[in-house]
Amino acid sequence: MIRHERFAEDAPGKGRREMDSTVTTAVSSHIPSETNELYGHERADRHLGALLTDLGERNLYDAAAQCNRCGYCETVCPTYMLTGRETISARGRNQFMRMLVEGRAKNAADAEEALSTCLLCGACSTACYAKVPTPDIVLEGRRELNGYGDNFFARAAVRTLLNAPGLFAFWLKLAYLVKKTGLPRLAAKMGLYDFIGMPALAEAEGSLDRVPLRFAGEIFRKDPALSPHGKTAVNWAYFAPCGPNYVFTDVALATVRVLRRFAGEGVYIDNQCCGLIAHNYGRLEDAREFARRNIERYERLRAVFGDFPVIADCSSCAAFMKTYEQLFAGDEAWRKRAAAFAAAVRDILEFVPADKLPHADPAALEKAGRVTYHDSCRACHGQGIRKEPREALRRLAGRRYAELPESDWCCGGAGAFAFTQPELSAKVLDRKLRNIASVQASTVVVGGTSCLVQIGAGLKSAYPSARAVHYSVFLDEASGAAEKP
Amino acid sequence: MFKTDRISRIRPELEAIVGGDAVRTDEAEILMYSYDAGMARARPEAVITFSAAEQVAPVVKVLYRAGIPFLPRLAGTNLSGGTIPLKGGVILNLARLKKIRRIDTGARLALVEPGVVNLELQRALEPFGYFYAPDPASQKVSTIGGNIGENAGGPLCLKYGVTSDNVEKLEVVTPEGDVRTWSYRDPGPDLMSLMIGSEGTLGVVTHAWLKILPVPRHIRTVSAAFRSLDQAMKAVTRIISEGIVPRALEAMDSVSLEAALNGKASPFPEGTEAALIIELDGPDAVKVKREQENVESICAGAACTAFRLAADESERELLWQARKGAYPALARLAPDVLVEDGVVPRPRLPEALRQTREILAKYKLTAGLLFHAGDGNLHPNIVFDRRDIQEVKRVKKAGYEILKSCIALGGTVSGEHGIGVEKRVAMNWLYGRAELDFFRKIKDAFDPAGLANPDKILPVASDARAEAPPEGLAERASLSPEARAVVDELRLRARSGVPTAVTGLGTRLKPSGNDGAKPLDLSQLAGAAVIDRENLTARVEAGLPLERFRAQLKEAGLNLDLPDLKGSVGGLIASKAFPGVKDLLLGLEVVTAEGELLELGGRTVKNVAGYDAVRLLCGSMGAYAVILAATFALSAGSRRAQAAFEEGPGAPAFAPDPYQVRLKRALDPRNLLNPWIYGAAAAAEELP
Repeated sequence: MIRHERFAEDAPGKGRREMDSTVTTAVSSHIPSETNELYGHERADRHLGALLTDLGERNLYDAAAQCNRCGYCETVCPTYMLTGRETISARGRNQFMRMLVEGRAKNAADAEEALSTCLLCGACSTACYAKVPTPDIVLEGRRELNGYGDNFFARAAVRTLLNAPGLFAFWLKLAYLVKKTGLPRLAAKMGLYDFIGMPALAEAEGSLDRVPLRFAGEIFRKDPALSPHGKTAVNWAYFAPCGPNYVFTDVALATVRVLRRFAGEGVYIDNQCCGLIAHNYGRLEDAREFARRNIERYERLRAVFGDFPVIADCSSCAAFMKTYEQLFAGDEAWRKRAAAFAAAVRDILEFVPADKLPHADPAALEKAGRVTYHDSCRACHGQGIRKEPREALRRLAGRRYAELPESDWCCGGAGAFAFTQPELSAKVLDRKLRNIASVQASTVVVGGTSCLVQIGAGLKSAYPSARAVHYSVFLDEASGAAEKP
Repeated sequence: MFKTDRISRIRPELEAIVGGDAVRTDEAEILMYSYDAGMARARPEAVITFSAAEQVAPVVKVLYRAGIPFLPRLAGTNLSGGTIPLKGGVILNLARLKKIRRIDTGARLALVEPGVVNLELQRALEPFGYFYAPDPASQKVSTIGGNIGENAGGPLCLKYGVTSDNVEKLEVVTPEGDVRTWSYRDPGPDLMSLMIGSEGTLGVVTHAWLKILPVPRHIRTVSAAFRSLDQAMKAVTRIISEGIVPRALEAMDSVSLEAALNGKASPFPEGTEAALIIELDGPDAVKVKREQENVESICAGAACTAFRLAADESERELLWQARKGAYPALARLAPDVLVEDGVVPRPRLPEALRQTREILAKYKLTAGLLFHAGDGNLHPNIVFDRRDIQEVKRVKKAGYEILKSCIALGGTVSGEHGIGVEKRVAMNWLYGRAELDFFRKIKDAFDPAGLANPDKILPVASDARAEAPPEGLAERASLSPEARAVVDELRLRARSGVPTAVTGLGTRLKPSGNDGAKPLDLSQLAGAAVIDRENLTARVEAGLPLERFRAQLKEAGLNLDLPDLKGSVGGLIASKAFPGVKDLLLGLEVVTAEGELLELGGRTVKNVAGYDAVRLLCGSMGAYAVILAATFALSAGSRRAQAAFEEGPGAPAFAPDPYQVRLKRALDPRNLLNPWIYGAAAAAEELP
């Protein structure tokens, strides 16, 4: 690892740059650092070339150094609020990464706890005036941890998902079947879920009433109404994120119904995984490959139909695809293509305008009871979506809609976090459940599949009269019946 | 490394108190408690995270016995390096002690633990229609414990006072691990107020009883835009001297405005160089409206280009977001920011601003200027990149020059952010050797081993003294010939070891029998009060009867918000006949038992430079030092309604707290001043 060891206090006189005496009082403009790699050349492919921050393109060091330690992120950081420890707070994680680059911290492994406990919820960046991209900085740190993303199962699963989605689906179904036929212990022993590399899915499956044996992608692929053949124009393209595709098939089906109802005809983009899992679990090159394939598919359709929005119904995936450009910061050609794709991506949460919605079906509303909305982190912090879903829900549910206190407090799902940090995750969830109980909601509308799993499981055990419902499903149920004659 | 060893030796003991997980010495924990929001850095040896307030005292006891330094820390948003463990040792992390234990609207008190975030307390009080007045801009993150440690202010302190005006009682763990509960109403010297702003160098606060107030019925928030800062300052001075006391009177310059707006459309007209946020409140809608109209015409008179009343709560919210978000927003301009915190008497504010701007230009620096205009408290927020060593040097120089200019204008070096380590050297410019010695004695009395947040506040040997220390007060013209005579007399008595009986006019305090103390007549110290109309302060000699002082003020059209009491001004302070006198007292000139003349506090309403010796001396009954003169904050306009106050029948028998005795021994080791008050206790060898 190359780290530069120059910083103000310890190396007086070794200025990184001498001040030009003609510098005026103008606001200090950004001068990028030159020698600040966290990692050597040979590991460059494990890392992002640059971070695209709110203040422009920054390398890791400059992005972390933008934090002036004001501490305004601390009270929104779930792990800090629960433990009171700077070490597992947003500012702490940021500072650690900075110290690592500066050589004051010697080993990324020292901060294993700090880095692995981060929910990547991004609440800190929302609170931060400089929008320091702490989740990205934490991920860069995780990529420096030994063995991160190298473990056999993670590698095998991601590669399978990438190169043989059919095989992946087969393994997943096998895992489901084993469990369904009453051999869960055998499944655990076989390490099937581990093999698939998505403990979150295993967890998810546990909270499901029925197990999909036909995945959404398989259904849509065979649906002529969603095929580009014979169409001259499309209003939207549906992107099936892994959650709705492999686990919550009903969500994917609902999304497509809602899209057709309110936005006319469209197509299924027949996508691959968005790459988020690979990205977050240390397989950056694989994530780029997922992205390239999705971009290519999008471009092929665009060549025929012109511009159209790409709709995803899992906020984590939508948010990630909106940042595809960052994956290709060092690759001029792909960077442009990624930016064009990212610009077309829409979360279902922001896509359906409230004024297009009809009055809701009374029977569906009766069933829903009091409705509240949980801001999925990757929707509110990752994409800034807060207003649109609320407007839609208010219009549909009217006085039955109640605002959730601390609605943007993470639910603790956060991908596999519930699995890797069960204790902390439970505490984070606990606060969410208390808030839900405080408004006596019986339907909690969410936009991310990870939230759906986490809040759903939480409610099931602590507050069984309430249920977690995906936004698409709620929209479909509440608006669908109204159209029936 | 021996340092790890000294922790591991006591580790089992510590873990027995707080649990195994709560004592951490791993590298990540050490690194992440080595910084705060300031510039200083130092590594602790261990971090102890408490889960119950009761754990603090036993842990402190263990640490003290082992001779390991420690300091309390909460959110770590300190701006002067106060939470940096300069001598290593242990960080006492109190962040999890965040219970609001009681809200008592009847007694108007809230009992909280130190980790409660200021804004969380406000939110908890809201449903009851109450609020806690100190509202530092950092209230979203900063905690009550931290606010107490730094004596935090905030926009509302213009009307409602700083933290030390809003605390009723504190539970403190002393450096040796004793648990004491002190209120400013306790008889004798005010130990509670001494704790406030002491930055963890005298003890650790574990519970605080805070004063809460009903939210005023009517609040109006207005903003005014000006083409120059000078014009804005003109308006500020006029508003205050008209006798209007806004809830808040805040100013921002264009750099901070721009940063805070963060690309959003500015609500102010183009060419706005300064904006004021003025908030008025009161129970009477008509009166508040009239005040608003007055403010409007004053602003118009100062060539204000836009004057706007916030139409609703969301507009008001927006204005405050801009003000309170200005400091964190500067992170967009550069990765580091140095927040200066100088204070000057309010009428000198335009001058201070001009000088500040000159200094910034000289060092080629950019700063967002934010200030609590009503208090004369300036916050130049200088942005820079700490990786640029040359720039860091210029920033430090500029910061010090700004502080020096504040001192030269009759102000002080910190209004609400504390001295910590970063302004330690500036204490040398503000105070003489005698004052610093006085502070040091206070510190030693509480913490003989020097383990509680060591090397903070008071200059250490490496902090070179200023080129020219402030001139001794005795040489100053302000001291009357009578006062000089008293100083000389006390100096003489100190030299020959003659005890003195200081009883003022003898209204309350009388020597008990004949114990050989030689009376000191202070009735000659009764010159006319020196009234500073613009600054709304008056310096008055100790022997002047309050009635006569009040008459002089009345003639000038000013008021002192004290009940009508008999006796001299000095006697009133020394006897603490009215405990609230502390809230109006800005400065004291006193003579110590050794005949040293001290100038404590000053002429500004905010001052956190050094220990709050001014308040400590409230109720000291002449046994710590002899009061020569006092500076009070006044109010303009008609006299405000006073709650009825009935003085108790004579002073109750004084049974001193052990820490009051310790202070007595430190400040007057030969028991020369009013020797009967502490009697034998003052001479006893062993510490209680």
